[in-house]
Amino acid sequence: MLYALTTEELMDRPDLWEAVHRLRHSIFVQEMGWSDLYRDDGLEIDQFDHDEAVHHIVIRNGELAGYQRMLPTTRPHLLTEVLTDLFVGDPPSGPNVWELTRYAVAANYRDGRRGVSTVGTELIAGFVEWGLPRGVNQVIIEFEPMWVLRALQLHFLARPLGYQRTYGRQQVVATLLTFNEKTLEVVRERRAHHAPVLSRGYPELLGQRQAS
Amino acid sequence: MGHFDRTLAYIKALQDADTPDAVCQKLLEVTSAFGLTALMAGTVPQPGTPGGKQKDHVLLCDWPGEWLERYVARNYVDHDPVVSRMKQLQAPFQWREAAQEIKPDRDGEIVMGDAGEFKLKDGLAFPLVTVDGRIVMVSLGGEQVEMSGLEFGMISLVSTFAIGRAMQLHTGAVKTIDHVELTPRERECLKWAAAGKSEWEISQILGISEHTSEKHLLNAKTKLGAVNRVQAVAEAIRRGYI
Repeated sequence: MLYALTTEELMDRPDLWEAVHRLRHSIFVQEMGWSDLYRDDGLEIDQFDHDEAVHHIVIRNGELAGYQRMLPTTRPHLLTEVLTDLFVGDPPSGPNVWELTRYAVAANYRDGRRGVSTVGTELIAGFVEWGLPRGVNQVIIEFEPMWVLRALQLHFLARPLGYQRTYGRQQVVATLLTFNEKTLEVVRERRAHHAPVLSRGYPELLGQRQAS
Repeated sequence: MGHFDRTLAYIKALQDADTPDAVCQKLLEVTSAFGLTALMAGTVPQPGTPGGKQKDHVLLCDWPGEWLERYVARNYVDHDPVVSRMKQLQAPFQWREAAQEIKPDRDGEIVMGDAGEFKLKDGLAFPLVTVDGRIVMVSLGGEQVEMSGLEFGMISLVSTFAIGRAMQLHTGAVKTIDHVELTPRERECLKWAAAGKSEWEISQILGISEHTSEKHLLNAKTKLGAVNRVQAVAEAIRRGYI
C-alpha cells in the first residue's frame, strides 16, 4: 500500500520520519553521489520538506520500500531554486502542476531486474491516483533521460523543459508529464494489478510484519 | 525560433507521427543535418539468435539494405563493439569511442571497417531500458558526422522520444491488454471462496441458489484462465481484483 502524508503527519511518526530521511540519504548521497546533500547523521533533509510537501510512502513487510515527495509549484521548488539550469524559458506552475522529487526504491525491493520494480510502479500508480481526484494532472520530474521512454510506454504525455545535464553519477533531464484516467489504466495493466494502491489510513509501526 | 524551441518542435512532430516509418523519417530529417543519415533501433537479441529471428527485434530501421544483410549473415551483432558498449548500459556515446576501446579484438575491427564501406564511418549510440527491463539499442550513423556537445544531447533526447513513439505504435498494433472484467457477484463469490467457504455456504451467505454460486465461480475461473478454483482465487488476488 502507498500512504500520502503531510510533513506534519510524517513528523508525528518518528519511526517513519527517520526511515524516510535515512533512505533518501542512502540513495541520493551514497548511491547517486549528490554530495551537496551529505549529512553526518545519515539523514537527508532539505528546505523543501516544508508544511505543503506531501510524502508518498510504500510499506512492504513492515519496512519502508519506496518513497517520493510531491511539492506544489505554487511556491519555490527544486527546479526553480536548485536545478535552475535544467529549464529554458518559464517553467510550468499552478495548482494542477506538482513536482515529483526523491523517487526512491529501497535496494531490497528492486527485484534484481533492469526494469522498473513492483515498488517502483506502485509509486507511479500512486502519484497518478493521488493527483487525479485533486485536479493535479501534471508533474515535473527531474530524471534520467531513459525514463522518457518508460513514461511514453506508460501513456504519459512527456515534454522536456530543457536539455539534460550531468549531476553526480547520472544525467538528468527535467520533464513535464501529463496524465489522465487512461494513463492510470495503462499503468495498472502493466502492473497486472487493478486495485487502488493509495491507502486512506496511516501505516502501522515499522517492523510490524503483516501477513501478506 | 530558439534552439530549444526547435527541439520541442521536432519532438512534437515525432509524437504526431502515426507509423513507424514516419517516425523514422522525421527523426532522420533532424539528425541528417549533423551527418547522421542512417538509423537502427531494436531490442537486443540473445547471442546466437538465428539470423531470421534477429529481424523481429527491429523497432525502427533505415539502414543500408546490403549492410543489414551482411550484418545478419555474418552474425556481426556478437562482435560489434558498439553493441558490446551498449550492453554495459552507459550513457550515449560516439562510435569512435567504442572502436578505440576494442583495439585488441580483430572481429570488432572487421565490423567497423565493413561499416565504413557502407558510408557508416561514425555515429552515435545509446541503450535504453523499458519498464519491463528489455534493452533497446539505438544507433545513428553516417559518413561525415559533426556535432557539438549540446547537439549531441539534443539528438539523443529527440531519439529517445522517437523510440518511445515507435514503441507506442508497436504495442498499439499488437495490443496485449490483459484486463479481465469480473462482475460484482463473481468477485463476491471469489472473496468467500478465498475465505474457505464451499459453494453451498456461499449460496447461503449471499442468498442465492447453490447452482448460481457455482455458475459465478465457474465464469470467474474461465475469465481468469484458471484450471481450478484454487488457481482462480490466487489469480484474482494477484491481480488485485479481490
